[in-house]
Amino acid sequence: MAGRLLLVCRLLVRDLRRRPTETVLLLAAIAAATGTLTLGLALNGIADRPYQRTRAATAGPDVVVEPPEVTGTQALTALAPLTTAPGVTGHSGPYPVAYLMLTARGKTVHAVVEGRDRAPATLDRPAVTGGTWVRPGGVVFERAFADALGVHTGDTVSVDGHSLRVDGTAVTAARAAYPRAGWRVPGTPFTDPGGLVWVDRGDIAALAGGSQSLSYTLNVKLADPAAHDAFGAVSSAALNTRSWQFIAEEDSALAKQARKTMLIGSWLLAALAVASVAGIVAGRVIGQRRRLGLLKAVGAGPAMVAAVHLAEYLVIGLAAAGIGLAAGWLAAPLLASPGGGFLGSVGAHPPALRTVVAATCFALVIAAAAALAPVVRAAITDTVHALADAASPPRRRGGRVRLSRRLPTALLIGVRINARRPRRARLAMVNTLITTTTLAAALMFQVQNRQETHIGPSELVNPDDERSYHAMLIVIVVLCVLALINAVVSTWSAVLDARHPLAVARTLGATPGQATAGLSAAQLLPAVPGVAAGIPAGIVLFLAASAGQIRYPPGVWWLATALGILLAVAALTAVPAIAAARRPVADTLRSTAS
Amino acid sequence: MTGSMVLRTRGLTRQYGRDSGLVRAVDEIDLDVPAGQALAIMGPSGCGKSTLLHLLGGLQRPTDGQVWLADHRIDTMSERALARLRRDSVGFVFQSFHLMDELTAVENVELAALLAGQSPRRARKRAMYLLDRVGLADRARHLPAELSGGQRQRVAIARALSNDPLVVLADEPTGNLDSAATVEVLRLFDEIRAAGQTLVVVTHDARIAAVADRMISMRDGAFADDSPLAGAGMAGTGSGRGSGTAAGAAAGTVYGGRR
Ligand SMILES: Nc1ncnc2c1ncn2[C@@H]1O[C@H](COP(=O)(O)OP(=O)(O)OP(=O)(O)O)[C@@H](O)[C@H]1O
Ligand SMILES: [Mg+2]
Repeated sequence: MAGRLLLVCRLLVRDLRRRPTETVLLLAAIAAATGTLTLGLALNGIADRPYQRTRAATAGPDVVVEPPEVTGTQALTALAPLTTAPGVTGHSGPYPVAYLMLTARGKTVHAVVEGRDRAPATLDRPAVTGGTWVRPGGVVFERAFADALGVHTGDTVSVDGHSLRVDGTAVTAARAAYPRAGWRVPGTPFTDPGGLVWVDRGDIAALAGGSQSLSYTLNVKLADPAAHDAFGAVSSAALNTRSWQFIAEEDSALAKQARKTMLIGSWLLAALAVASVAGIVAGRVIGQRRRLGLLKAVGAGPAMVAAVHLAEYLVIGLAAAGIGLAAGWLAAPLLASPGGGFLGSVGAHPPALRTVVAATCFALVIAAAAALAPVVRAAITDTVHALADAASPPRRRGGRVRLSRRLPTALLIGVRINARRPRRARLAMVNTLITTTTLAAALMFQVQNRQETHIGPSELVNPDDERSYHAMLIVIVVLCVLALINAVVSTWSAVLDARHPLAVARTLGATPGQATAGLSAAQLLPAVPGVAAGIPAGIVLFLAASAGQIRYPPGVWWLATALGILLAVAALTAVPAIAAARRPVADTLRSTAS
Repeated sequence: MTGSMVLRTRGLTRQYGRDSGLVRAVDEIDLDVPAGQALAIMGPSGCGKSTLLHLLGGLQRPTDGQVWLADHRIDTMSERALARLRRDSVGFVFQSFHLMDELTAVENVELAALLAGQSPRRARKRAMYLLDRVGLADRARHLPAELSGGQRQRVAIARALSNDPLVVLADEPTGNLDSAATVEVLRLFDEIRAAGQTLVVVTHDARIAAVADRMISMRDGAFADDSPLAGAGMAGTGSGRGSGTAAGAAAGTVYGGRR
């Protein structure tokens, strides 16, 4: 038993070491897919778990009550009976609130200003994430608001003309994060986008220009937090109540668009990753077929052959799962910020078991699917065949071969290489199709009006858009990496496969240049239909995923995109092709079997 | 085991293709190889020698007919049982060596022993002993790519012997070698034969045939001629089917002198 185990491990390690490039590429492809999945899952939890955590850490209220239409003592009177209403087990406040204009870094925006005491309250104790809690003459920013404005502890901002120093940043569960803090248009029940700041209770009257113009907010704890509806009936119609569920919902809406982008993106990436893995494995099979035949010849049974093979992909799959999980988890905060409205945002805590399990299974399934075909084939092909030729014998497409006779040498070589391996040509087409689709959708996204949110007189970047944009960027970066891997792998396996015929062609007088161009052409030919179909597919995808007025980029852009992709394919494939063509012919012819 | 048949076939047939493209690569062959016999199979290219060898070693299944290895009928065996049989009872030597590129010489040799479930230490000891026997102890840690063709073939022979198989099947073992390397391999085969190992060698090389106890000529998938050889003064004489005797240890001295 020990001997067999040793053998499996030895073959595993040697094979991985012998093909470091393939191993790394395979790892990268599976890790990319896993990473995207992790990111998607992390984003799903983005609003959920941190809100809960923030709520627990800040003693978040069950319900927040405000009388929207009255101010000053009238408001206090309206709130007073609630503190002793049936079902209410605790409260904090009422705290004075003013809806003012805040100027920082040259931007003037809506700010919900809340007056607080220095001593911690029983309900809603905002958790300070930087600097200190409120002191007289100072202001504390809700963290996401501070992020959006770019203010830091120690800066000076002005609130309705009064200068205040920034004492710190904090997060709360009693209001949705920027820009959904609920800035009330004076004298109306309507709200506008805005951010939240806290000041010392003693300062707020001066900022608001008199205590009679102050609104009030009351934080309430209920005996049965689920019964907030009943509570709403008890409180008078003139009161505005926000349950914690409602606030959590508001917050989760933040990442919605980004999540949608990630979701579509991760499907595209998963498809591309599978294409990648299939391409790499197809290349590996060439070498592995003989190896498996050999193992069988010296007496390895089907189980052993499968074990040797599966162990390899299992290890790669597990490693890729680890890398993908880590990468996805580390990238998540990029999408989560500036949603820093929560305590311990995504990424600060180890991923949920659910995420780990899902990502690991995903990676293993990809790896196993990749390994399955060769294992089955190894088990059923007879040993003699496996030993006899390196790969399954090339197909002969008589029609293409005849047709290619009329073409220039480079195209002739290209067409014939693809005719040998139609499946690889199809894979190259799928690769460009998915890449082009994603890039076309991204281009559509790019030309739409990026909405800047009016937060008062000034415009600030809408964090929703910002997140979607980041999500898009991540998808595109991963996509480009995968597409790159695919292009190189595809050319490289073409190089390996066509090595011998190309060497023979060169002994017959084809120049290295023609051989290189031929290999490139072999990749470019299937890329053309991929690009042609990818652009409309990308537009359709974008239209399906978005609503409202759609703007289209000019036709020249599309042309440039198409040509750019084809050029990139040509350039990427030229590298391995040149490397192969530079090898002396004799070397290639000699390196047949050992 | 002397006297019993290591290999036995009856009506062994293997066809490829069908209808007009039908090839009877091996055509109703009856063969008996007694223990200890060194059998050479010769014949023109394409007459079915490799196919016959693959059928004898359970690498391929016959279209028709039966094969026994020792007392086991192998043409009806499951793939698993065949695999076990190959690693316990058969050693293959191929024309193109078929070593694992990523394993060193000694690791290649111990492959079958490890597959058979031997302990790594015992497998290594035996592998080193065999490498020493084929004169490559100092090359044990080299990869196949770092060995000459003749050395690779000697590693392959050591590998074929690693589980002390009932029979060694060699398919043109010197086909890729020059004459100096061929002499080395010849010497090894002679030693194997002298040690009483059953050996079936397919070859074009008359020198290999000359060290055999018995020679069979094949033509179009069938035996054209089956003759016992004096074996250059060797003791063992196979008198046709079923009557071959084990080669005497004395033969070793004859070839020992050749070195
Ligand atoms: N997979 C196959 N499909 C069809 N025909 C085959 C196959 N393998 C072998 N043959 C045919 O079977 C016959 C015997 O082949 P085999 O390889 O046994 O010949 P051989 O005697 O070993 O020749 P050589 O000395 O050239 O190695 C040949 O005519 C060959 O064309
Ligand atoms: Mg042959």
